[in-house]
Amino acid sequence: MLLAYPREFRFVYGSEMTQVFCDCYRDTNSRGRIVEFWVRVILDVIRTAPLERWETLRKGETMRNVKRDVLGFLACLAIIVLAVIPHRYMVTHGAGSMFLVGYALDAIISAGVVGNLIIFVLMMAMRRSTFRTALWSLLIVNGALLLIAILIGIRVGGFNFPAVVVSYIVSFLFWLAIHWIWSQSRTPAEPVA
Amino acid sequence: MPKERLEPEKLLPLTSSVFHILLALSDGDLHGYGIMQEVSEHTGGQIRLGPGTLYGAIKRLLANGLIVEVDERPDPELDDERRRYYRLTDFGQKVLKAEAQRISKLVSVAQQKRLLPKRT
Repeated sequence: MLLAYPREFRFVYGSEMTQVFCDCYRDTNSRGRIVEFWVRVILDVIRTAPLERWETLRKGETMRNVKRDVLGFLACLAIIVLAVIPHRYMVTHGAGSMFLVGYALDAIISAGVVGNLIIFVLMMAMRRSTFRTALWSLLIVNGALLLIAILIGIRVGGFNFPAVVVSYIVSFLFWLAIHWIWSQSRTPAEPVA
Repeated sequence: MPKERLEPEKLLPLTSSVFHILLALSDGDLHGYGIMQEVSEHTGGQIRLGPGTLYGAIKRLLANGLIVEVDERPDPELDDERRRYYRLTDFGQKVLKAEAQRISKLVSVAQQKRLLPKRT
């Protein structure tokens, strides 16, 4: 339950809170009121953890990173929109000579939408390192989408296996490069002493 | 950063949990669990602070200079040295008094309106 509180708060009060929790548990258990104890503790976490998280967010470094994250999110959206325009053109005009580019754009759009959404939700909830979160999320998302594409391709037929594999590798490297550039501009959050 | 120059009245009204924590510390230094027990005792079990409420309030009280963390402990031999003790500062005492006076005035108003019996 301590994980519900921000890292800085846990760093300063985590061990004390655990000790107080154990003291209370021992005391309440000896009086046979364990259900009441758990209800009280859970309600306490629900009430106080969002307050502490909000207070941490309001602090300088973290807030600056939140603003940067929101800007990054908007930049990713812009990239996806820019990729959709030539993709739609190729689909409607059947641009055969640009077929492999179409595959790559397809992968960049689908992995961009799903992957970036997961990355932003994880980052907002856990305040973890941007690049490591992005690396694993993009790897899993691109891998999963590639698997889905292969399964659909096998069923439907006329499937260009090498083009799809290459397109998802391109998509993974493309989004990873974007997130690497972005992670270089982030300010590390300082623990509150 | 302690805000010693701040007027005590500027921090009023205190929340119920903060008032009870300061009240518990007015008798002497206490650790977190000690504060919880004291609050539960002097409210007849009506207010039971959870760990999140307690340490959230302690964090803000420390930041406002109403309490400080102390190294001395009342009984070092019997006590767990991992526990942190907290002490009411002079500024904290002033804020507590100001809040008690504010509540006292409210009680007077309630007595005038015959919502409460007058003290003899």
